[in-house]
Amino acid sequence: MPVVLARVDDRLIHGQVTVGWSERLRPDRIILASNAIAADPWQSRVYASSVPPAIAVSVVSLARAAAALKAPETAAERVIVLTGSAAEMSDLAHLGAPLPAVNIGGMHFGAGKVEMLPFVFVDRGDLDAMRRMLSAGLSLVAQQVPGGREHAVGLDQVEDMESRL
Amino acid sequence: MIRALVITHGNIGAELVRVTGLILGPVEGLSALSNSGKSLADLRAEISAWLAEGAAGGATGAVIFVDDYGGSCATAAQLACGHEPDRAILSGVNLAMLLGFLTWRENDEFAELVGRLVRKGREAITLVGGR
Repeated sequence: MPVVLARVDDRLIHGQVTVGWSERLRPDRIILASNAIAADPWQSRVYASSVPPAIAVSVVSLARAAAALKAPETAAERVIVLTGSAAEMSDLAHLGAPLPAVNIGGMHFGAGKVEMLPFVFVDRGDLDAMRRMLSAGLSLVAQQVPGGREHAVGLDQVEDMESRL
Repeated sequence: MIRALVITHGNIGAELVRVTGLILGPVEGLSALSNSGKSLADLRAEISAWLAEGAAGGATGAVIFVDDYGGSCATAAQLACGHEPDRAILSGVNLAMLLGFLTWRENDEFAELVGRLVRKGREAITLVGGR
């Protein structure tokens, strides 16, 4: 299952994904990977209902998402995979999901978070997760929308943000 | 009183609410909320706080207008409203819907009001001229 976009976005399924990135990347399926949401059928339906009918949608646990992404029988599908946090994307990678560069698409302000970019606010847990992904050989690119500026996030940026916490 | 909250991207909602005041004069129970810079969780929490404020104040219903179906505003509103009665979420907010809401909310039953607002919003979208 070729992943055309692996995105960390705390809004999960919303316009930037279903219109912005989907118009550009033409995915066959959007996979929302979240243990908490997948465990709640009503929340799963709310999120799934936001996806245009032409795109299939799966709201599944991280383990099920990793298994689906590795499954040869679905290799023909173009997939956008979403997590709500860097830690979940890191866990997905750790579970063996074949991911391209990870798109840091939206990590909004919250208590204890500091600004890396206007659309990326991080705390210690976020930075630890970014470190784990970088150590695993994944590249991280912060970019909110297609055509928007791409910001490579490397160890230098992570260390700089750690010093500001 | 039935209250309403207009949740949108950017300042669309605040401007719509401001303009209703220019047309009808100052109104109560109509406010706006933007999703700008907010996570879905924070937006949901703000909507929940607005709903709780209404319940504590004796509101008889809550109508949430959002600018687009399938975006963070609509999702956060759905998650905040849950399955409680006398709560409705309407997408595609326009000025005609808000003016209708303020005009009809005192006399209509909640379900009737919601139906009228959907029809009003659709009727407001029409080709008015040009070729």
